[in-house]
Amino acid sequence: MNIIGPDKLIWGVEDLAAAKQFAVDYGLTPQNEHYYSALDGTGIEIRAKDDKSLPAGLTTGSMLRKTVYGVKDQATLDAIKAEFTDREVKVLADGSLELVDDMGFVLGFQITIRTTNTEKAERVNAPGDVNREINQPGVTKTDVPRVQSLSHVVYFVPDSVIAEAFFANRLGFVTTDRFTGVGPFMRPAATQDHHTIFFIQAPAFMQGCEHFTFHMAGPTDVVQAGTNMVNKGYQSFWGPGRHLFGSNWFWYFKSPFGCNMEYDADMDQHDESWQGREAMIGPDNSQAFLLQYREKWAPGPGGPKP
Amino acid sequence: MVQSLKLTMNKILLGVIDDFAEEQAKGFDLNHSGSDTFFIVRSKNKLFAYKDSCPHYGDTTLPWKRHHYLNNVAEYIVCAAHGALFQIENGKCIQGPCLGQKLTKVPIEISEQNEIWIDQTIIKEFNL
Repeated sequence: MNIIGPDKLIWGVEDLAAAKQFAVDYGLTPQNEHYYSALDGTGIEIRAKDDKSLPAGLTTGSMLRKTVYGVKDQATLDAIKAEFTDREVKVLADGSLELVDDMGFVLGFQITIRTTNTEKAERVNAPGDVNREINQPGVTKTDVPRVQSLSHVVYFVPDSVIAEAFFANRLGFVTTDRFTGVGPFMRPAATQDHHTIFFIQAPAFMQGCEHFTFHMAGPTDVVQAGTNMVNKGYQSFWGPGRHLFGSNWFWYFKSPFGCNMEYDADMDQHDESWQGREAMIGPDNSQAFLLQYREKWAPGPGGPKP
Repeated sequence: MVQSLKLTMNKILLGVIDDFAEEQAKGFDLNHSGSDTFFIVRSKNKLFAYKDSCPHYGDTTLPWKRHHYLNNVAEYIVCAAHGALFQIENGKCIQGPCLGQKLTKVPIEISEQNEIWIDQTIIKEFNL
């Protein structure tokens, strides 16, 4: 199945104004009253929780109402429709498909809306390996980090084995790495990103979205964007730091979406030759390092502040 | 008289009741750590104080933005990390990852002049 990754997450939120302001401050661009996008067109749709157009929500109170996957072509949509003869597959007015997975999450599938990203990844120079153009500063005070693309979604699920089996056997996702007894990191066939999904086994009353994430151009943009969020009064949940599985830099913020919203960058890329790893979850295996924000400060000659 | 003075010296004034509108919350960072350590909610003309620490992980704070401890209709305290809802009156989680667990209540005192005080021993005991 030529599934690329999440195109769009649809939310039914309690505080519409706060959620929309948060999305803008995070760095997404409003495309209309409901849709806020990254550079490549992927994004989030924000609606009030009682909006009649939304699919029914989970009983757990999760505000995530639907995950819409982008697929490569109509043939993939046809293959998905043919695969799910065991449940209702709705064909919506826009030609996308809608079904409910084995965990009860509403999924959508559409020919992807994501455009080719023309932004360059952060370039890093090292002795003998110069990657940034000559005379090009690596960072300036006026740089504006730009949110590039919807990266991944992490779900609390009551049975990560069933969740993994559904995405592996029915949708062709591959498990790239695994936290023992917790759940798998999975990537769909038409992307090389380490994961677009991670499942966390949790009690049924927790089912929902743990966090969702957009890709940035590099670690500098992750930290700069996060710093901007702190300066706007938003509260960090975890980070900045760098994960081990996927190698992605991260910074998580609590949000009015009832879950954390993350920035990531520089995720590992994999193909079918990758041998998945497994580890126990915990601080040592969740990150290579973890930093914490503090206000700007600088050493100097000492003495009274100028 | 001496005892009264000592008590005052051992307490920190957090404000007065009128600093809080009805159904409003406010966080406090007495040590200037950069992150609030406890918060007070005014609800139905009563004040409730809790540690700013979600029982889900035990060491992460609740709001997505400073002072945003209540849901949109000020019916529940919310942890924005994973959407946990807590009853304002007793801090009990009624939805979310820490279902059935409670926020840690912080003792505060209200004077006859409607001043809100916290004792230094409470600050130490609760690591506020």
